[in-house]
Order: sequence, then structure tokens, then C-alpha cells
Amino acid sequence: MSLLDKPFSEDLPLSGVKVLDISQGVAGPYAGKLLGGMGADVISVEPPIHGDYARLIPPFFEDDPHIEKSGLFLYLNTDKRSITLDLSSEQSQSVIKPLIEWADIIIENYAPDTLENLGLGYKDIEKISSKTSLVSITDFGQSGPYKDYQGTNLISLALGGLLQITGDVDKEPLKVGGRPAEYIAGLSAFSGAMVALYAQRASGEGQHVDVSMVEAIATAQMYSGLNYAYLGENRVRANDIAPMYQVSNGHVGVMYRQDNWDDFCDMIGRPEMKDDERFIDNVARRENIIELNQIVSEWMIKQDKTELYHLAQGQRMPFGYICDAEDLISSEQYIHRGYFVEIDHPVCGKLLYPGHSFFWDDEKLPMERAPLLGEHNESVYEALGFSKEEVSALTEKGVI
Amino acid sequence: MSKNALEGLRVLDLTQVWAGPTCTKILGDLGAEIIKIESGRRMDISRGGTTANSGAGLYPDGNAGDEPWNTSGLYTDRNRSKISACLDLTHPKGVEVLKKLVEKSDVVIESFRSGVMERFGLSYEDLKLIRKDIIMVSLASQGGSGPERSYGSFGATLEQTAGIASFTGYLGGDPRTSGTFLPDPMVAFLAIGIVLSAIEQRRTTGKGTFVDLSQREVTTGVVGEMVMDYTMNGRKWGPNGNRDNVFAPQGVYKCYGDDSWIAISVRTDDEWNTFSEMLNLSSEQVNTFSTVSQRFAQHDELDRLITQWSQDKDAHEVMHALQMVGIPAGVSLTGEQILADEHLNDREFWEEVDHPMVGRRPFLSRPFKFSKHPASTRSHAPLLGAHTDYVLRDIAGLSDEEITELSDLGITSNDPTAFGSTAF
Repeated sequence: MSLLDKPFSEDLPLSGVKVLDISQGVAGPYAGKLLGGMGADVISVEPPIHGDYARLIPPFFEDDPHIEKSGLFLYLNTDKRSITLDLSSEQSQSVIKPLIEWADIIIENYAPDTLENLGLGYKDIEKISSKTSLVSITDFGQSGPYKDYQGTNLISLALGGLLQITGDVDKEPLKVGGRPAEYIAGLSAFSGAMVALYAQRASGEGQHVDVSMVEAIATAQMYSGLNYAYLGENRVRANDIAPMYQVSNGHVGVMYRQDNWDDFCDMIGRPEMKDDERFIDNVARRENIIELNQIVSEWMIKQDKTELYHLAQGQRMPFGYICDAEDLISSEQYIHRGYFVEIDHPVCGKLLYPGHSFFWDDEKLPMERAPLLGEHNESVYEALGFSKEEVSALTEKGVI
Repeated sequence: MSKNALEGLRVLDLTQVWAGPTCTKILGDLGAEIIKIESGRRMDISRGGTTANSGAGLYPDGNAGDEPWNTSGLYTDRNRSKISACLDLTHPKGVEVLKKLVEKSDVVIESFRSGVMERFGLSYEDLKLIRKDIIMVSLASQGGSGPERSYGSFGATLEQTAGIASFTGYLGGDPRTSGTFLPDPMVAFLAIGIVLSAIEQRRTTGKGTFVDLSQREVTTGVVGEMVMDYTMNGRKWGPNGNRDNVFAPQGVYKCYGDDSWIAISVRTDDEWNTFSEMLNLSSEQVNTFSTVSQRFAQHDELDRLITQWSQDKDAHEVMHALQMVGIPAGVSLTGEQILADEHLNDREFWEEVDHPMVGRRPFLSRPFKFSKHPASTRSHAPLLGAHTDYVLRDIAGLSDEEITELSDLGITSNDPTAFGSTAF
């Protein structure tokens, strides 16, 4: 164990794995958060002054824009240490090299060639530390004709093929709420990092992992590509996979399945529909979805969302109900599993955060708050051999 | 090139439908040996039923053939790079054989409704008795505990119960789900890393692990800031169409041609200034849109002006023209276009696979590339039970007599018609 390592007492799945997170925003930090959540020691390197640009993105605690109050940043950076360093300054080289040597995995999400131009491309990293893997996350990947194109979450949904099949056929294609392309790229980068680590344990060698947000979506969309590959037809936007109905206090979603059809007809008080040719199987129901929706809507509007959800699930019908944040926080299922965790933060105080999505050997792994900007400068730079005076000098120069 | 990244890893795959099979498919592409256990009695439901009309729906050129369960697109997409063995786990002798396979496997991954593995006598406690360091990863809809543990779901209903649908939708409209089952690939991409984290822990401690994952919780995990706005400020999010909540304008605009659209994001004032020149706005108009708050306030008007400009233009030409000046733009690609896309093809994203009943078709690959261990499709999706003999003899170590007995009892039958239709 080197001085640089964070002292840990718990025996966590990835205790002893070292991650240098020089990414910002959503995808890279999410991958770092997942690795840190598993017990890896994650040092996040943020630009001086404002830090990771996610610190500037709302929502802010009490709607007060402040680098320590971004809900996006607070959520995405649990289980990490934070140091500040201007990677574009020449003096940063002496700091970053020992950190590269220390790390098993480096996560970055700069535009392609940015790190090469700073002397920190994979070829440079390989020379400094051959065991270290570099996980790069970009909109379009490290190669290809669109490599230098500009992207956003929406652009990835478009070029990944998911946008075109979401929404109504008579309206424009519709994005999925939130930042799905960035998060899915983050999940992919977490797993990509683990594949590289597995291979490194066998060979001793690191490698370059190339994660593209467009390809993360192109892998996730499935139906659009497959529909064309199998049928030679473009899938049309439709709301028929899992139609949603308005109920008295919200919306409920239904999956029509053959196994459940008779029970469903009984539940809505229309047993005669069991033998109705218009709705006899999935193909017929899809063709006559408008008539079916009319009949079902009349019954639905009188129902209560959670009562109906439990009633249907009790009969093995995989219904859903539309949960907003309040519904999630008050979900008995989430409460029982302790999904939301209360985390204390020196600036924002105690807040509920989405926690780990799993139990590990019947335990919830711990989750520590996101670091303040540069919170660990002193301890990390000291461990790297810098004196207090040197750290002050670098700080004055704006390097850290 | 060196050997596959996950060479030597053996995974017993009891998952079905989408999330689990996609996880194991990618592990298989990377070199792990994936033994998929199904049975004639209980096929993966993405194989569809025994007849073509049962809802899986995606058959090659609309032709299900004599064995629809072997041609279903939903199955073939998610089950390449695996071998398939038939084993009826409702029969004690089937369970006995499965236990022999556990002994020879590193990982067991399953996605049954919570409680089903226990009923088979295959809980983690049972498996640990067979192999002390076994890793078991359970991908139940709601996890293995809590009042809803036995509830079922599909990706679409998880989008609803996990929070995504509540703020997906047209401006001022009803909540919507995505055009796919987005939680499934999310769970799959996470589960790859979960499996390998358990392997890393086994490497350092010698211990196995039981992971009880909730697909619904994974899905809420990707809308963290939506939850945080509520816990910080009591604010709930609703559908906001295609708009962003930080910059403006952003939208999906009509282009020339049937169902042709361009997505455009204008992130900064500089990008807006460049774009407004292309839109040929009057200096008066430019002044009224100069700040992001002005652009948010007049987003409807901007959408109208952008549509006016884009509607008679080719979507790809608009994309390239905007990208040339640094403005994020992307064509909303159709299925046909995504398969032909020059960028994805340059990066060899699509992998053509020969399948004896489906022919040669392109399939999506993976969300990542590795410089030293390139992954690829290693084999087409298996016909039901294609490798039962190999798995029983060479992996479980059964004798010819034992294999014949199992076959006579119907435990290894790969004929789903003998059990009646398992319709979706």
C-alpha cells in the first residue's frame, strides 16, 4: 500500500483497485462513481476554480447556483476523493505522472486527440505505466468520419437510432427524459473498465477502452436496427408496446400478454372480450389498439394507480404505474430495500440520494458523499511528496 | 492478437428475455464460455411461442419457418456467442444435472421471478454447498426482497415504475415510454461490470458472492438528478419534449422527405450567433434571442423559425453543414439508415452473422472497443438445445447411459411442441 492509497477498513469488492478519474460531466463521473461504490479508490482530478463542469449544472440545492450545490454533481461523485489540477499547464506533468503510475484505470471524456496533445494519450500512458488502462468516453468514439463532430445527449439518441422510434407517428421523434445516452455510456464505461482490469490481472497489461455514446445508444435501441435487418422495414413510432392509461390519480401502464388476457378481461369486467376476434392475440390487439384503448380507458379512469398496480401484479400481470420522484421516495418496495440513502454533506446537509441498486452478500455497500472541490489536495499532494510550500506555490500559479 | 479478454471464464446462464441475455452475450463476445440453460417446457420467452402468431413477431422476412422458436429475431439478437443446453428444472433430475454444472462454473446468473430459484432448490445457499466460491448474480425485476419482490416487469413498465416515463413526453403531454425497452440494456451493461467485480473480489479474497440486483433500482439510478431536485427542492419533473434544461434552442426539426428529421442542440451564445446567421434572421430578431433566457422564453418561436429553414433541406446535408461550424446536429436515423450509417460502418459496429435458419444478417455489436482484445460474435444464436449433449457429457461429465435416461424422461427435450405453446 502506498501513501497515496486511501485507508480503507471495509472489505469491499474492489478494495485495492485504483482509479484516476479525469473526466467531467455525466458519463465518465458515473463510471467512476460505480467503481468507487464497489470499493475502488477513486481520485477525481478537477480543473481549478470551478471544478468539474457538472458543478455548474442544475438542479442546485435551494436553487442557489454554487459549485458545491449541484444535485447532478453530488449524485455522480459519491465515493471519490477530489484534487484540483490544470492538466493543460506544464507543471501538471510532474503531478500527473505519479498518479498515472498509481492507477489501474484512468477514466477520461475529453474530445478525441485532446489528451494526446497534452502528452497524455494512451501511448504516453502506456510508456509511463504499462499496467494502466485508459477508458475514453466520447460522443462518437476515437475513430471514424464523425470522430470530431459535436454531440449532446439528444444527438446521440438521434444518431444511435432510438430517437426515430420514440414518440407519436404524426409528431416529431421524441427524446427520452434525462440524460440516457450519457448514463448508458457511463454504465458501459464501468463495465469496460472491469473487462480491462480482468484482462490486466491475467496479462499484466493495460489497454485503451473506447466507449462511444452513439454506439451505447445504437446497442440499446435494438428494435430499430433489428426490424430493418429482419423485415426490411423501418419501425414506426407507436405507443403500442406498453400502452399507458389515465387513471384517477395518474397513469398506469399495461403489457398485453397472451397469458394474462383472460384475467385482464375479467378484471375490467368485460369477460366477453376474451373471445372477441379483434383482440384475440397480440397481432390482433396491435391492429385494433385504438378500439381496445377506448374500451380499456373507460374502466381505467376510475382506478387508483397503486391499488391497480398491486391488484394486477397480484394476478401476475406485469403492470406499471408512472412514478414521479415523490412516488419513488414513497414506494414501499424502495423503502423496504433501503434504496434511497441519506447522505450528509457539509454544504447541503442531509439529503436522500438514490443508492446502490443491489445487495452484495445481503449487505448494502456503503456510500460516501461527493467531495468538495479540491478537498483532498493536501493529503494527496503530500503523499506525492510535495511540501506545503510547493503546494501553495502551485496553487498561486493556478496549477492546482 | 492475444487471446480473448475473458478467456477461461465459464458462466451458467439461466436468464431470459433481454437484460440477462444481453449481459451474457457480451461476456460471450469477449471470450467467456456461456452455457445457456433452457428447456422445451420453458423456453426463453423471446423465442416466442411454438407458432408464429404469438407475439415475438420478428421473424426473418416475416417467415417464421417450421421452428419459430429458432428464428425469432428477439432471441437471435441477444443470444449469440453462447451454447444452449436443454434441462427441465421442474424435474429433480434436471436440477441434479444443473448442480453438476455449477461445480464447473465460475458464475451463475439468473433473472427468474424472485423465489423461483429457491423452489428449484437452487438458492445461493444451495449453490454454495456445491461450489464454495460460486458467484451468483440475480437480476430480478424488483430485487429479492420487499413487498413487490415477486412482481414481474418488462423494460417498458420499468421505465414507468422507475421514474423515466414521468418526464418523457411531448411538452405539456402525457408521460411516455421509449421506443425500446431501455432498462434492459442498462441492466445488461451494468451487470457485466458487476459480474467482473465479483470475480475481482474472488481473486483477492477467494470468496464467492451473491448479488441481489433490482432492475427497477438500476433504472432509477440513471435519473439521479431528477430525484435530487425533489429531495433538494421538492420539485417534480414533467415531460419537456425535446428541450434541454440548460441551453436553448434544442429540438428535432422537419427536413425534406418522408419522416425525415434533424436533431439540433445549441449549447452556447457563440453557437447561437453562428446558427442565427445560417438561419438568415434579421438583426432585430437576432437581438431578441441573444441570451439563453431570451431563447428559452421564445423557444416556440425559435422552433418555428428553425423548421421554416430546415423543412426543405436534406437532413444529412443539414447535419454536415452545422457540424462544419461546430454546432451539434444529428440526423434522426431510421433503421435502414442506422444500418447504412458511414460512421458506424467505418467503426465496424454492425456484425454480420450467418444463422442456419435466419440467413446472414447484421446485428448490433457492443458499446465499447478494446485495443488489445477485440471482441466479436463468436457463434450465431444457438438452436434450442443444440449443445445439450456436449454440455452433459463434456462439462457435467455424464455417461451415455445417464444422458439417455434424461432424454427418455423428457428432461432434455428440445421439442417445445411436446409441451404446448408457451406464448408471449
